[in-house]
Amino acid sequence: MKKKLLSLILAGTMAASLMAGCGVSTDTGSGGSSDSAGSDTASTGSSAASEATGDEEEITWAFWDDLNASQDLMTQTYKDTVDRFNETYKGKYHLNVVTTNLEEYDSKVNALVAAGNTPDLLICNPGPNADVYVNSNVVQPINKYLDEDPDWKNSFSGGMFDRITYGDDIYGVPTNFAAALCFYNTELFEKAGITEVPKDMDGFLAACDKLKAAGITPISCSASTAWCLSMIAGYCMNREGVDTKALNSGDMHWTDAKVKAGANDLVTISKYFQDTYLGDSNDDATAHFYNEEAAMLIQGSWVIAQMNGNSDTIEDKCGVFSFPTLDGSNGPMIVKTDNVLMSSTTKYPDACVAFMKMLTDDTAQKATAEKAGKIPVTDVEYDKNAAPKQLSYVSDILATMTDSFGFYNESLASVEAGDTFDNNMVSIVMGEESVDDGCQAIETFYADNVWNK
Amino acid sequence: MDKLLRDKKAIAFFEAPALIMFTLILFIPIVYAIFISFCDWNALTKPVFVGMKNYADLFSKDAIFRTALKNSIFFALFSLVTQQAVGLLLAVVLSNLRWGKNLYKNIIYLPCVLSSAALGLLFSFLLKPNMGLNQLLAVFGIKGPNWLMSVKGTIPLTMWVIGVVALWIYVGTTMMLYMAGISGIDNSLMEAAYIDGATKSQTFFHVTLPLLKPMMKTTVSLTLIGSLKFFDLVYNMTQGGPNNKTQNLATWLYFEGFAYFKYGYASAISVVLLLLCLLATFIVNKCINTKDFDEV
Repeated sequence: MKKKLLSLILAGTMAASLMAGCGVSTDTGSGGSSDSAGSDTASTGSSAASEATGDEEEITWAFWDDLNASQDLMTQTYKDTVDRFNETYKGKYHLNVVTTNLEEYDSKVNALVAAGNTPDLLICNPGPNADVYVNSNVVQPINKYLDEDPDWKNSFSGGMFDRITYGDDIYGVPTNFAAALCFYNTELFEKAGITEVPKDMDGFLAACDKLKAAGITPISCSASTAWCLSMIAGYCMNREGVDTKALNSGDMHWTDAKVKAGANDLVTISKYFQDTYLGDSNDDATAHFYNEEAAMLIQGSWVIAQMNGNSDTIEDKCGVFSFPTLDGSNGPMIVKTDNVLMSSTTKYPDACVAFMKMLTDDTAQKATAEKAGKIPVTDVEYDKNAAPKQLSYVSDILATMTDSFGFYNESLASVEAGDTFDNNMVSIVMGEESVDDGCQAIETFYADNVWNK
Repeated sequence: MDKLLRDKKAIAFFEAPALIMFTLILFIPIVYAIFISFCDWNALTKPVFVGMKNYADLFSKDAIFRTALKNSIFFALFSLVTQQAVGLLLAVVLSNLRWGKNLYKNIIYLPCVLSSAALGLLFSFLLKPNMGLNQLLAVFGIKGPNWLMSVKGTIPLTMWVIGVVALWIYVGTTMMLYMAGISGIDNSLMEAAYIDGATKSQTFFHVTLPLLKPMMKTTVSLTLIGSLKFFDLVYNMTQGGPNNKTQNLATWLYFEGFAYFKYGYASAISVVLLLLCLLATFIVNKCINTKDFDEV
């Protein structure tokens, strides 16, 4: 009898331990609490003051950086907002942050969505991923909440909702605005005898030659993180007159002369990259610039937060100019917003909206500008002396902007199309494919997967 | 106990949990994946039956799939040859050591108990162009190659590098299995061979090796199947790049499913992977005959 009882207890324990291993949770807990069984996500590790009591409406937010470990000042600004939210709504709402590193972020969120575990809120780039979420009703429009609070709706700067508006519906709130620009080291430019920033492509290449002659690496870039290279490719294509909308609709082809000219420009510019650009990641390439090993970095303005967070000296030496056009005129700029979308299945829309409002209130937006050096999405007044110097240069350039376009990998027909573009640009630059072959490879992909659907 | 094990109800009772778990965790998902592989499905809407289209596209249109298939087969063969050779050699050497056997065994086995994802990230740092190995080579005036971004040749250098790292990580398992096999060989067989005038190498080839056949069958099967569905090192070291040149079947199905929402297509890749694993197991069973040993 005793043996039977013991066997039953042991069998029960074994079954229970097996079942415990089957659980998958997106709940990251808060404060210093440990992860739930089966969860491979990191916890926010918010301050003790923001720990959940268990009585609140719990919501989750999928975010693409580690709020505690990151040196990125924008991430730290987000963390401040999360802490402020949990403190302000203590006992009513509580926010858990599901953090994943940027490279795996989209895959992680896609897996959660596919498994029916969509986080209540998710940060999202505009483009194909957001399109899928919207078209599959994974996320919901927020017009109702914006209309209920006209002050909130009217606080946003003009055009901020453009890339997250589908028909008449707005599917999220932007939290900051960024433009892709050429950041340069004024001291290294001076050392190479460059007295003014280049405006046209010839001037840009001449400046690169001068830098090279002075023994300075002209441009820092990453091919290992393919989108870094493809951002420059996007500019090259745009300057040659390539239109992504025409490419997506089939009115223009990847084998057109303009596309090939853009790819050739990219190859020319790539001759001025640092020797290790093929193996360097985005962070490595950025580090080359803020460590003053390269004179230029072509990046989104979000990099200001990363640079200044990692270097005490770069702010005073960093200038900004827009990517040159062929004729020296004011060309369109690559711009984007980071957006927070709300799940269509959230049980707590009010809590979600409360957090969205906090992300875009004056405190958060001031910090976005003053601490992180990113462009606010609202018309908030911020202290320009407190903000990083680079932000005022970016603002000056944006004031003269004539037109804008999206990141190429976010403007093409699908995520796979964006990756196909990125990967073939890397192959062309590596010399593994000729320009003709690379463009033909993208053309074939579009013929098989985009135009015939 | 013997009486209990002859009781059919008792047998069914003890087998039921394993059978139920196998059905729930393995059999049903496999059947479902096979069904989904005949559908166009993004996991957010209802699956649409498309027949053999996913399979036709895989073999006729998808150049990356062909690259992934080639890399997976290369990786399986490379791992098979290197892990068997090095694992067996280490097992024989360590089994004959008089001192320090446990120390060396633990050192060699250590990578197996570490997270391969973490080791993948570690090696991706060590093999970066401006740090680690290349810095060391630079001290001797040697310009190291781009270990993780080389794509020249049928099998790019990067695939060889990943293979070597995988060897370093997993050879400990093969070694341990062979050591277990060697320790199970009756000493009297060796002594008889020596008495008959056999040399050490003759004893190894004519006594030890044949008696290790069952263990060889196990290690070869484990290595082949493990290498075919290999994911973590490739994903963490190269993410399948540059330009998908280091994709293997597991990473490519991951991208197709989780990055591009093509779960039907990804399922078709997973079915091909399953068939490859079954084929590998079938070949191993056919080629490594352990009948003679069983009859000893």
